[in-house]
Amino acid sequence: MKRRITYIEDTIVLVSKSILRFVKSPAMNRVITYIVSIAILLFLWEIASLAVNAINHSRLLPGPYEALSQVVKNTAELQRHFFASAWRLILAILIALAAAIPLGLLIGREHTLNRFISPMIYITYPIPQVAFILFLFLVFGTGSATKVAIVALVLFFQILVSSRGAAQNIDEEHLTSVLSAGATRWQVYWHVILPATLPEILTSVRVSIGLGVAFLYIAETSAALGTGLGTFIKAHMLYARDLAFAGIVAMAILGLVLYVGIDLLEHLLCRWKYVRRRSL
Amino acid sequence: MIDVESLTIDYGLADRAVQAVERVDFRLEEGRSLALIGPSGCGKTSILFALAGLLSPSNGTIKIGGNPVTGPRREVALILQNAGLLPWKTVWQNANLSLLLAGDYPGHNAGVILDDLGLTEVKSRFPAELSEGMKRRVGIARALSTAPSVLLMDEPLASLDTLTRERIQDLFLTLWQEHRFSLILVTHDIVEAAFLGQEIIVLTKRPAQVKATVINPKMGSLDYRQSEAFQRTVHDLREALER
Repeated sequence: MKRRITYIEDTIVLVSKSILRFVKSPAMNRVITYIVSIAILLFLWEIASLAVNAINHSRLLPGPYEALSQVVKNTAELQRHFFASAWRLILAILIALAAAIPLGLLIGREHTLNRFISPMIYITYPIPQVAFILFLFLVFGTGSATKVAIVALVLFFQILVSSRGAAQNIDEEHLTSVLSAGATRWQVYWHVILPATLPEILTSVRVSIGLGVAFLYIAETSAALGTGLGTFIKAHMLYARDLAFAGIVAMAILGLVLYVGIDLLEHLLCRWKYVRRRSL
Repeated sequence: MIDVESLTIDYGLADRAVQAVERVDFRLEEGRSLALIGPSGCGKTSILFALAGLLSPSNGTIKIGGNPVTGPRREVALILQNAGLLPWKTVWQNANLSLLLAGDYPGHNAGVILDDLGLTEVKSRFPAELSEGMKRRVGIARALSTAPSVLLMDEPLASLDTLTRERIQDLFLTLWQEHRFSLILVTHDIVEAAFLGQEIIVLTKRPAQVKATVINPKMGSLDYRQSEAFQRTVHDLREALER
């Protein structure tokens, strides 16, 4: 009997130690942090909803329960709008990356090019890209192309400026190291400049996601019809606010998914940034 | 044979030019070792970079094996101050980098050298996971992977603790004796110069000029540090530097 109790005690200790280890692991820590943050946000939203509705004596601001139950009830329709917005945003990010990284790295490293192109950036960067929305609608119509173009334009400048800055700050020893081994210009870009700047570029993409979602919303709400979360939110904001807030929740999820996606991509491509000295 | 004649290096343009090196001459026979020693910032590294083909001399000539140096070449390897490892490449990728850039990858040479230097076990690690001493070993493996006939070293052991520095100095000596490459070491450490240089050139403050040449014929054994000849060389170097 005594042996049996000892065995059960040992098992309990072992299981609780395993659970503790899992809970304490960095991945689980992140998940727990996210869950706690979401719970706090929902709580604050509920308080705000109660306060706003009490002041206005009406159901002006739906609470999280109402919005989330609309998400569940309208999954199919929300999914359609979610994926329309998601592919526009992803396509815009890819276009911006493809155009801004090579140009940013080139002007960051080639002084003559930098002398001519930097003034152009300084002149065009501060212009609010949203000012071009109507013009782009006139040129490309009110379809997805314009919505993608406006988000890509916004992200392009963010990524261009950060990749140029990152390319200018590369450790000279890394460059000397490959140049002394006879590297060609292309090899210097491929083996040193691109990998050295990648973490900073990905950080700028992560930071720009919020901006991209905001501009996507503006572009989608500027067109009268069509799909996309912006269109969905605008269509329901006046008469079915709980549905509109379900759309806002979907938009937040879209931003979060992309944010986590970029985070994972960085962990995958920049594994060297996350290692620490180990003994043999 | 390495032949440096009247080497002068200026930085900047015309009237704003700063002279880093002024009319430096020296000659090094194949398979011998030479240390260049001088105060920090005197222009030692500029001489080494010119030998590596990374800098063009403003005046004078540099010839390696009878051919003028016009750019980096495969038979000349350079080890930089912090080993010059790329943090985003693993030990294996860093050690093979020179071969990869030359289009010779995969080369078995780097594998053999990694094994010789006791790095096989850590070949899939990144530099950030290694101790400073190990990083220097990876830098050495990379430099030797192309079987160079000339090895240039720019203060390769700066910022290491004394014991690690001595261990790697011993390793340099063993490898030099084994591979018989010509060795040129730039340092501001008197002890390092006396341990590794058969000939030691003492340079002046900027612009670097040859101030004195100390011959160190008895170097070449691991216990040389304990000998009287070593102490004498260290003393001579100190005097030449202070003069």
